[in-house]
Amino acid sequence: MSDQNVSNARRNGAGLNILLGLTLLGLLLAMWLALSFETTTFWSAVNIANLLRQGAMIAILAIGETFVIITGGIDLSVGAVAGFVSMMVAWLLTHDLGLASSIAGAIAISLAIGVFIGAFHAFGVVQMGLPPFIMTLATMYSLRGIGLLITNGATISITNDAFTGFSRASFLGFPWTDGSWFEIPMLFWMVLLVAVPAYILLNQSRWGRYLFAIGSNSEAARLSGVNVKAMTYLAYIISASFAAFVGVLLAMRIGIGNPTQAEGWELQAIASSVIGGTSLFGALGSVHGPLIGSFILTTINNGANLLNLNPFWQRIITGALIIIVVYFDGLRRKKR
Amino acid sequence: MSMPLPASPNSAASGAPLLVLRKLDKRFGATHALKAVDLTFEEGEIHAIVGENGAGKSTLIKLLTGVYPRSSGEVFWRGERVPLVNPHEAIGLGINAVHQEVVLCRHLSVASNIFLGDEMTRAGLLNHKAMLDEAQRLLDELGFDLPAGAVLSSLTIGQQQLVATARAERRGAKFLIFDEPTAYLTRQETAALFKLIRRLKANGVTIVYISHRLEEVFELCDRVSILRDGALVGTRRVEETNEADLIALMINRTIDQIYLKDKVPLGATILETEAIGGKGFHDVSIRVREGEIVGLYGLIGAGRSEFVLSLFGRFPAASGKIFWKGAEVAIRSERAAMALGVALAPESRRDQGLCLNLGVGFNINLPIYRRLGLGPLINLAKEASCADKQIRDVQIKTASRAALVSSLSGGNQQKVVIGKWLNHGAKLFIFDEPTVGVDVGTKAEIYRLLGSLLRQGAGIIMISSYLPEVYELADTLHVFRRGGIVASHGFKDASHETILTEAIGV
Repeated sequence: MSDQNVSNARRNGAGLNILLGLTLLGLLLAMWLALSFETTTFWSAVNIANLLRQGAMIAILAIGETFVIITGGIDLSVGAVAGFVSMMVAWLLTHDLGLASSIAGAIAISLAIGVFIGAFHAFGVVQMGLPPFIMTLATMYSLRGIGLLITNGATISITNDAFTGFSRASFLGFPWTDGSWFEIPMLFWMVLLVAVPAYILLNQSRWGRYLFAIGSNSEAARLSGVNVKAMTYLAYIISASFAAFVGVLLAMRIGIGNPTQAEGWELQAIASSVIGGTSLFGALGSVHGPLIGSFILTTINNGANLLNLNPFWQRIITGALIIIVVYFDGLRRKKR
Repeated sequence: MSMPLPASPNSAASGAPLLVLRKLDKRFGATHALKAVDLTFEEGEIHAIVGENGAGKSTLIKLLTGVYPRSSGEVFWRGERVPLVNPHEAIGLGINAVHQEVVLCRHLSVASNIFLGDEMTRAGLLNHKAMLDEAQRLLDELGFDLPAGAVLSSLTIGQQQLVATARAERRGAKFLIFDEPTAYLTRQETAALFKLIRRLKANGVTIVYISHRLEEVFELCDRVSILRDGALVGTRRVEETNEADLIALMINRTIDQIYLKDKVPLGATILETEAIGGKGFHDVSIRVREGEIVGLYGLIGAGRSEFVLSLFGRFPAASGKIFWKGAEVAIRSERAAMALGVALAPESRRDQGLCLNLGVGFNINLPIYRRLGLGPLINLAKEASCADKQIRDVQIKTASRAALVSSLSGGNQQKVVIGKWLNHGAKLFIFDEPTVGVDVGTKAEIYRLLGSLLRQGAGIIMISSYLPEVYELADTLHVFRRGGIVASHGFKDASHETILTEAIGV
């Protein structure tokens, strides 16, 4: 990145984020290094591919969530949206509805559901004046309920192998350090598919600038000609449609549709985002931050399993890490 | 450096001056904010501190109130050395400050704010009735026409300022610092405040009075100390000095004329309103021509801000007609106003004008991002050069375009508020209180900016509660009272007294 780009990015706090991103990346790599020495199984082609698969879905949720948090809002419904959509896509695939029951049709409808839910959130926040926390808390409950009503509480099994096979597929590979063959999982490619446009939108487009402006001072943004309503819609639609995309991936990965899946993922997404340097007060956040943050959480999970740690410790470590990372982030910002 | 006052009865009793600062020094990293300042504050005096933005006034206040620790120097309270290292200690001594930007709880009532942290209780529970009555008694006694039960956010900024003062008075301050207290006050409110300050003085309270309005210093204060670039350049008794003298000391050069304004020939009509009305204003008809400054003078709450916000589409007018270059238009949104060529620098830079925790360049470019690239994508090089050009042109003192706006001084923040619209290429500029809380030097710079806009053929609507400013600058001056225009004047064709009378309506 040229000097100019660096100082440009710094204008919206992204320069600071690059620095933070680097130290977070350092933390992630240090964890990987330590686990490679401590266990024989961590640094293997199979486990790393597995780790990328495990972290992919939270990463996508976290990136979408970050868009809402930057505007000063919060989206508590992303887990519920993912669960609901996993049910919807399974339901569509197991019925005979013509085009809608084809894989492409079912995915398209699922994503459209995400867009609709996001628009509904923004409607509640913008038009009805509800606090984002309340609005998305309400849909978090309702969506699970609607899903259970539709399925009558049953789980829908997906028999379409072309659909479920995708989650196990890989694309592009290279020889691993131990001579075995490593292939990049499709699920991780999906993260990049989402992250690259998200990065461009957030850092290189005026809409991205507007989201930061709204998070900093929405009245000043409005009086500078920013269409605050439209931008708020944009943020919530991104968050919910990313969550719907995760719902599709989830259905592929576990081969079933069940609206109670992905419970608690909204908090993992928020945690990833916060570890990645996003401020819950708005106007501070990035795409790479939550991306790295989510893989840090996944590594704790993965590493704890390999180390045979009591799984309860994972939660304790995660909590401690959030406090430490956010504390140091605050220190760094003050020094500036 | 500072001359002792003839001993007042109070200071005679205790012998030593109330507060003495010796070689008070403060550094922030490489910045030397306050340079070995020696100052003496006598008991029961009103001591003004003047200086340009960035001269060290705010730093001095923060040291006196214990917000920042000093780098070196000594502080003596009634002759005894005190550490003065935290706010708690300062309040314990009786040092209080009333800040320019009101720092109170907006969602609480006036009474609750006055008693915040010092609530009256009965059997361990809050005694709301007693607090309400006591607060109302205090407000009435001070001559503030305010209901104690009102929620703070329903008051104007000026009224909130009075509440802050009443709160400090109630806390029994011995040493009270006023930081630009009248910046947002109307004439009446200012008079009420001065009455209060004199009363406090009579009770032996020492007042430190910080203001950019030098005439207030002469009206109110006993002595005045001048800061420049962090150093004390002198202390004078007010009867031994004058405004020109103070200005020369403050900026180290003389300005013959702050209100420098070259006459620009008036051109075609840009905007005309015909009896427009909305929430807070009614039947307002004005005309703005190329090269013209139209001044809107009135008390705070007279409907001026609401009127201009309707011209900018924030709260669209409900009745009447608006003509833009002769054609009737409806201005339904901020974007519609901007598309026509209207720019608005709003009244409150903190609430309406700036994204404080974002960069200077970001704020400057915010209105013009639409033009800084292709489609939604931004041309980053152009973004940077636009910001840098504006920072240079408006002379914003900032470390870089990436520095956060919150790190700038008030005057420089105001330049960002104004500067962000200069790139926009607007035809009609609306400035709502453009020089509030801004020092003399910056004021002159802002007036020069207005002049250059006029020469480019723009028209300006300027709202000000500071009569000398609109009086000297406006080609046409409309006086607002209770949401309507009560009188209109040409350039200086009425006296200050006349205009004031019309605004107050006595």
